[in-house]
Amino acid sequence: MNHSARVSIIGVAVAGMVFVGQAQQAGLQPSPGGDRPPVPIDLSGYWEPVLHEDFLERGAGPELADYGGFALNEAGRLWALSYDPSRLTLRHHQCDAYVTPYQMRAVGNFRFWEERDPDNQRLVAIHIWSQTTEAHRTIWLDGRPHPAAWAPHTFRGFSTGRFIGSALVVQTTHLKQGWLRRNGTPESDQATVTEFIVRHGDHLTDTTVVNDPVFLTEPEVRSNDYVRLPLDPGSWLYACDDGEQVLDRPADSVPHYPFGNQPFAREYSARHKIPLIASIAGAPSMYPGFGAAAMKASEAEAVALLKPTPGRPSETSKAIDPEPHDGKIHLFPLRDGVSLLVGAGGNIVIQTGEQGVFVVDTGDGRLTDQVIAATRQLTSKPIQFIANTSFHAEHVGGNAKMSEAGADLSLPGSFFSAQAPIAATGLFTRVGAVATLIAHNNVAVRLQAARAPAAMVPPDTYLEDRRRKFYNGEGIELFHEPNAVTDGDSIVHFRRADVIVTGDVFTTTQYPFIDLKNGGTVQGEIRALNDILNRTVYQHEEDGGTIVVPGHGYVSNEHEVLEHRDMLVIIRDRVQAMLDTGATLDQVKAARLTADYDTQYGASSGPWTTDMFIEAVYRTLPAAPKR
Amino acid sequence: MKSRCVVLIALVLAACAEAALPAQRGDSPGPSPTGRAQAPFDLTGYWVSLVTEDWRVRQFTPPKGDYEPIPLNPTGRARADAWDPAKDEAAGDVCKAYGAPALMRLPTRLHIAWQDDLTLKLETDAGTQTRLMYFGPTPVDAGGGWQGVSAASWDAPRPPVPPSFFVAITGGNLANPAVSLKVVTTRLRPGYLRKNGVPYSASAVLTEYFDRFDVPGGDPLLVVVQEMVDPENLQTPFWTSSHFKRQLDATGWNPTPCSAR
Repeated sequence: MNHSARVSIIGVAVAGMVFVGQAQQAGLQPSPGGDRPPVPIDLSGYWEPVLHEDFLERGAGPELADYGGFALNEAGRLWALSYDPSRLTLRHHQCDAYVTPYQMRAVGNFRFWEERDPDNQRLVAIHIWSQTTEAHRTIWLDGRPHPAAWAPHTFRGFSTGRFIGSALVVQTTHLKQGWLRRNGTPESDQATVTEFIVRHGDHLTDTTVVNDPVFLTEPEVRSNDYVRLPLDPGSWLYACDDGEQVLDRPADSVPHYPFGNQPFAREYSARHKIPLIASIAGAPSMYPGFGAAAMKASEAEAVALLKPTPGRPSETSKAIDPEPHDGKIHLFPLRDGVSLLVGAGGNIVIQTGEQGVFVVDTGDGRLTDQVIAATRQLTSKPIQFIANTSFHAEHVGGNAKMSEAGADLSLPGSFFSAQAPIAATGLFTRVGAVATLIAHNNVAVRLQAARAPAAMVPPDTYLEDRRRKFYNGEGIELFHEPNAVTDGDSIVHFRRADVIVTGDVFTTTQYPFIDLKNGGTVQGEIRALNDILNRTVYQHEEDGGTIVVPGHGYVSNEHEVLEHRDMLVIIRDRVQAMLDTGATLDQVKAARLTADYDTQYGASSGPWTTDMFIEAVYRTLPAAPKR
Repeated sequence: MKSRCVVLIALVLAACAEAALPAQRGDSPGPSPTGRAQAPFDLTGYWVSLVTEDWRVRQFTPPKGDYEPIPLNPTGRARADAWDPAKDEAAGDVCKAYGAPALMRLPTRLHIAWQDDLTLKLETDAGTQTRLMYFGPTPVDAGGGWQGVSAASWDAPRPPVPPSFFVAITGGNLANPAVSLKVVTTRLRPGYLRKNGVPYSASAVLTEYFDRFDVPGGDPLLVVVQEMVDPENLQTPFWTSSHFKRQLDATGWNPTPCSAR
């Protein structure tokens, strides 16, 4: 054998070993049936959904009050019963996308394709495009972690996967609130989904398991079947734009049905000649024996499920706290030089650029040194401006220290430094040597009334609807939101980055804080939420676009504000309806008018309980005229 | 010299390919090496159905004519429209909706066990039915009953790739483990896909895939995907997928007789 032949044999053998090794590495996880690694299943191609199950629900649409087969808890059932499909006529709801568990049940075609690393050809992700709502989903297979709890939620959620046995197993978190069935059967933003995607020849089955601590008592298990299409079916787009559908409707109007008065609650059972309780019973409706048991249930048992169970203590939130409590400040870049700092007791937003640092809110003050250090990771420029959205402690607690750490270089040598009436106000004692604090005038008034240290009190205040600055090449606007949480609330809009910082006007963690003693009202809070919605723009199908940073909670956009606004309007209407009948505060509390939202926002202890919220709503609404 | 090199290379390549092929086929040499010994997962035990899809027509007997979206052809539709449960009761045919094509869709509990190394037995408390799934040869005299004759195999997630040197040496199909239970049922006694008389014929072929999924932090799931082919009554194959949650024991096992209504 000559030299070249030997080289050829060795080369082929070595190449074979290398290729085998690569294939085994690509297998990712051991199979349950042996020590051979599973092979990534080829899911690529065009897939058409098979609508042989739940055909009407997925096609023409479900009937109202049909929640059979869902393990809804009381909150979920009441949320669904309160849902009026006319809500979809509201501008911001018109292009609502579908959350992943429902998206995978959509009637349009799907396209799956692989993303591979160009250098080593390892599988990085599987992408799924759904014709309905133009939904683009990415399932990451490269081992990346799920985002932090304060990261944005989307209708698609964040998905990671791995091949186990016959299935691609997918875990999805960070979902928006949406529906499990298109008749208002809700899925909360706390839901997580496990999927098992299996291919049998040209048939694909995606089994979804939804866990939702807010609305479900048990996981919801359903499967979606697809058949492979040999050719590209085309028609992959699904345009949606919103517009006015009902002219002259008040901005604080949200269609909904009062508890116990869902006009179509009996329609479904009557049409199909099944007991009323059948479709509203929750988890039992999934199991054997339910049909016979439902036939024996009394009418009274069923009617009782149409409204909150009286006398029961209110539920408390089942949502996870999105804020870290690890004694650390976490930096989360948002867009175009604007970042979020979490962990300080309240969300802090910073904008950095050529001129310096613009800060919105300073947290509760306990970790201000870390906050300052975090800004210095981004820039060596000084903190020049600090805006406060509120005078509440978790928004101004770091004012003094952060101001001290900064400098407002626009002031030395200016009119203020030369002629400020230092003795009269005590506010401009160190002009330019510290960052300038900006807020609505009532923030300063409230802080002074509370005898806050002078260094905490904003000296640069505004009185009417708007304060504006052009800083770091960007327009920044503060808008006063009168009598919302307090009488001094501002929201801050970074116009280039399109980031709105809402302070406590909007949070994802609790019922709106309405500070009665300091000028807060429910009507002002609704106006403020609508004002935010008037300034936001979605990128696609009610997702993305304007970033909304709440006072507490995870990074949002208009959909979260919208759901929060809807919730507040609905609860206000329920309280007002009872007020109109002359109900006392105790009677209103006993009626459990927040029962469909308590598993998301409710609290029985702490600084802002469900009872406090109901009392605030009750006391700021007009009572019925005495007869 | 050159020809000797070519022969040597060919021998090496053939050896590589041969070494890879048994793994590729997903089995070891020998006759009928299937059944219990090669089960890639454990299906035995008790399972309870989760009726989350087609909920109303599975928990309650739908009225005559409620057969959407089953792809019935005119013959199938006419037969469904002629449903008469009283007639079935009079004829002693109360189990027509408990045959293999409908059984897994019923609200029921399952008890699955190995009858022997080559036969998996599946019992339901609804209608007290028993299905036998044969990994070996099916009995010649079997069939003609509600459960027909079921041939079982452990199925690979994708079609086998023909042996080739390139596939073998690149490892492209080295690991293709059998991971689903595939069951093909024929020789059925004509019955109903739904309790309200939606028909299937004796010539129907039911293909099923049983997959077990271990849900992180949750109960294991059994998902049964069914393809029903019945040109006598259906225009196209009819697909469904049914779910079962694993139970620790026989809790809730409640044998009930068939009912025609």
